[in-house]
Amino acid sequence: MSLKIYELNEEFKNIVPQEIVALQENATWGNPKRGVMDLPVAKELLEEHSLCAGCPEAAALRYILASLPNPEDTIIVNSTGCTSLMFPHIALHTVHSLFGNQNSVATGIKRTLEWRFPDKVKDVVVLAGDGATVDIGLDYTLQSFFRQEKITTICFDNEVYANTGGQESGLTPKGHVFKMAPKGKQFEKVPMWQLAIDSGCHYVARLTVSSPKRVEKVIKEAIYVAREVGPTYVHLYTPCILEIGLNSDDGLDEMRSRDKERFKFFEYKTPEAEEVIAKYKEEGLL
Amino acid sequence: MSPIANKESKEQKNRAGQKIVSPDYLLFEAPREKHFMTGSEAVKEAVKRATVDASVSYPITPQSEAAHLIGELWAEGYVGVYFRGENEFGVMSEVAGCSIAGARTITTTSGPGTLRAMENFPMWSGTRAAMQLVLMARGINAPLTIQPDNLEVSFLLDTGCMIWYAENVQELFDMILAGFVVAEQPDVHVPVITAVDGFFVSHTREAIYLPPDDIALPPYDPYKAPMPAIDAEVPPGRFLRDPFVMKSNYISYATHASWQFEVRAAIERSRPYAKHYLKGLTEEFGDKDAEIVFVACGTAASQAKEAVRVLEAEEGIKAKVVKLKTIRPFPYEELLEATKNAKYIFVPEFNVVGWLEREVRRALYKKSDAEIIGTPRVAGGMTMPKEAIVKEVLEIIPARR
Amino acid sequence: MAKLGPAQYSPYPVAVYEGVLNPPPGKALLFNDIVDEETAMREAAKAMLTRENATIFPGPQVLYAWNEEAKKKAKLIKEMAEVLNAKIIPMYDYRPKYPKIDPDIEINPNHPNLTIWHNKIKACIFIGVHCHYANVALKIIRSETDCFTIAMCSMAGHEDAMITVRDQHSEDLEKFIEIAKEVKKELGLA
Repeated sequence: MSLKIYELNEEFKNIVPQEIVALQENATWGNPKRGVMDLPVAKELLEEHSLCAGCPEAAALRYILASLPNPEDTIIVNSTGCTSLMFPHIALHTVHSLFGNQNSVATGIKRTLEWRFPDKVKDVVVLAGDGATVDIGLDYTLQSFFRQEKITTICFDNEVYANTGGQESGLTPKGHVFKMAPKGKQFEKVPMWQLAIDSGCHYVARLTVSSPKRVEKVIKEAIYVAREVGPTYVHLYTPCILEIGLNSDDGLDEMRSRDKERFKFFEYKTPEAEEVIAKYKEEGLL
Repeated sequence: MSPIANKESKEQKNRAGQKIVSPDYLLFEAPREKHFMTGSEAVKEAVKRATVDASVSYPITPQSEAAHLIGELWAEGYVGVYFRGENEFGVMSEVAGCSIAGARTITTTSGPGTLRAMENFPMWSGTRAAMQLVLMARGINAPLTIQPDNLEVSFLLDTGCMIWYAENVQELFDMILAGFVVAEQPDVHVPVITAVDGFFVSHTREAIYLPPDDIALPPYDPYKAPMPAIDAEVPPGRFLRDPFVMKSNYISYATHASWQFEVRAAIERSRPYAKHYLKGLTEEFGDKDAEIVFVACGTAASQAKEAVRVLEAEEGIKAKVVKLKTIRPFPYEELLEATKNAKYIFVPEFNVVGWLEREVRRALYKKSDAEIIGTPRVAGGMTMPKEAIVKEVLEIIPARR
Repeated sequence: MAKLGPAQYSPYPVAVYEGVLNPPPGKALLFNDIVDEETAMREAAKAMLTRENATIFPGPQVLYAWNEEAKKKAKLIKEMAEVLNAKIIPMYDYRPKYPKIDPDIEINPNHPNLTIWHNKIKACIFIGVHCHYANVALKIIRSETDCFTIAMCSMAGHEDAMITVRDQHSEDLEKFIEIAKEVKKELGLA
C-alpha cells in the first residue's frame, strides 16, 4: 500500500493548504469500487488546471481518474499536447517525457515495477492525444502492443493538433480543413481501434465521453485486462471545441451527435479478456 | 580517501546471489585474475558484477554483441529486465522508464543509433535519470559506414550527460562499474555515457584483469535520488517527473534556466567521485616535462603513446600523452597542469571535425602559450598508425622553428 | 556559495561555476569555506535568530508520514521552529501550480522568490526537499532575493545555499536544536 505517501505528519496538518489535507482524507483511496459517482462528494485527484472552459478532454480525465481501481498504485505516462497542461495537477506519480515515446517509457516503468515489486499490483496507464498516439508515436504505441506489454493505452482523440494551434492529424476525418491541410485532409481517418486489435490488444473500446458511467466501465475493464492479460486500448472522442468553432457549453452535444456516427460505441474483447472481466464481475468490482 | 562512506555489508547478497561488496573493494581491492577478451565481453563481465536491474537492446554494429551478452546475463538471472526494443528512439525511452522507476539501467548503442535516439539524451539528464549508456563509436551516415569514427560524441557533448572515454578493454570494464557508482551519487545523479572506439575496443581481444564474479556492487537505492522515483512509494503523491514548468503562475521561466544549470552543476559535482573511482580524470604517459604533448582520448591515446615511444627511441625527441578519461566533466585543471611546459599540443582524433581539438582550445584559451595542432585526424574507419603521428610531428615542428 | 544574493537576473553563475562544491562527509559549507558541522550549525542558528522573518521550508520527505524517520523529523522540525522563533511554510509538492500559489502559506520550487518576497523572509532553512528541487529553488532564491539560505540535507548537501550541512538525520537535527538553544542564550534571546 502506498497510501502513506499521502498521509501528512500530524505536526504539519494545520499548516498545509486544505486541498492537501483533503487529498489524504476525502479522496477515494484503497477502494476498487470507486467510480464517477464519487465525483460530487469525494476529493478529486485532479486540481485546478489550465485547459479551456468546457473542454471535453478535462471531463474525460476527471472521469478516468475517478475510475482508476487502484489509484494509490497507478502510474500515468502522458505525452506532449493539451494533456500536458493537466498532468502536473494529478495527484499521482506521472511522467511527461517526450512527444510520442509514451508507450516506450510506460514499458520501462511497468517492467521495472514488476521486477522491483513482484508482490504488488502497480497499474501503468498511458494517456496521450491523437498526435502522440497515432502520428509521431504510432511505432511505439503499436510495438508495445506487439510486445504484449501489460499497459492500458488511452487516446484522447480530438481529431486535431489543438495545443499547437489546430493542425491536421492522422485522426482528422478526410476532407476536414485545418492548418497544414488548407485544401482539406486528403486521406481517411486512421482506424486506430482496428490497428490496436490487429496488433494484439486484448480489450479495445471506442467511444465518446458523453456518458461518464460508460467511461468508468470501459476504463476499469481495460485496466483489469491489462493487469492480467496484456495490452488494452481505449479510444475516446474528446472534441476540441475551440478548433471546431463551438462554445464552451457545446462539448456534450457534439459528443452525443458523434455517438450516433463515427464514434458509435464499439468494444472488442479476446476470450482471455472476457474471462478476466467475468472474474471481476463476480467479485463485484465491475 | 573515498569520497563516500564504504560501509562493509554483513555478507549481504543481491538477487543473483552474489555477495555485495563496496565499490572500493570491487574496483581496487578484490584479487584479480588475468583473462583475454574483447570489449564486448568486458561489458558483459562488468554488468555481471554491477547488480543491474534493467537493460534494453537493439541491434546495430558494432555494439550488438555487447547487447547480446547482457541478454545472456538476463537469461542467467543476473539482470532483472531485458528485451529488444523497436529502434533506438524507443530503446532510449524504454531505459528512461526503467531508470526513473528505480532500476539500475544500462544500454548500448553506436553511430546512427545514437543520432536516432538523440532527443532522449537531454531528457535523461533533465529528469535526473542516473543510467549508463555504453557507446561504441562508429561513423554517421551518409554515406553508410559501420566503421570506427567518433564524430557522434561531439553531438552528445551538451546533452547534460557525463561523458567518459575508455581507452581499452580493461578501462571499459572498470569504467562501467565506476560509472554506476559515480552517476548514482545523490548530488550527481545524471546519466553517464561511457564511450569507446567501435571495433578497436569492442572487437579487439586484449588481456584484462577481472575480480571474481561472485561479488557485485551494492544495489541501486532509488530513494537517494534527487527526484522521487516513479513508483508511487515516495512522497509527494502528486508528482510529475518532468513538468511543464513555465505554466506555474505563468511566470516561472527562471525555473527552466535554473533546472538546466542544475543539470550542468550535477556534472561538476561528479569530479571528486570520478577522480577517486577513475584514479584521476586524466592519465599521463611519457616525459613529464616534454614540450610536445599529445592530448587524446580512447584509442587515439594508445596510438599517441606508441608514437611517444618511437619519437624517443628513434629521434631522441621527448614527448608525452595526456589522456582524457572524462570529457564531461572536462578536466580543465588537470589539462592545464599537464601542459604547463608544452610548446606544441597535438590533438589526434578519429573524426573529421576535431571536436576534441575544439575542447582543448576552449580549455586553454589565454591560459597556455602552446600551439594547438589538430592533427593527425583520421575518420571513416581509417586507422591511426603511430608512424603517421610521428611523421606529422617531424614535419610540423621543424617548420615552426 | 560565494555571496548573498540578489546575484543577478538569471540564476547564473551557479555556485559550482565559482568553484564551490559540496562539502566532504563530516564537514559543512559556510559560504566558500569548508568548515566543521558545528561551526556551520552555529552560524545557521545565528542567521535564523537574527535575521527578519526566519522561516523553515519543510519538503515532502518530512511533511508526509511515509517512514519512521520522517515522523521523527516532523517533531524535531516543530521544535526547531520554536527554538529559532521561525515560521514554517511548507513545500508540499513540486508541481508548477495553476493558477497561482498563495505565498502566505506555501512555497513552490518553481518560483520560491514569490514567497520570500511576500513574507520578507531574510533567512530560511530547506529541509526534506528532494535535492533537485532544492537546488533549482536555491539558485532562483540567490538570483532574485537577499534571503540567507540554509540547506539541511540528508544526502550530500547544496552548494548554492549559503550554509549547507549534509547527511542530516534525526540525531543531527537534535544536535542542531541543542546548538540553536545555546546560540539563542548567547544572543540574549532565550
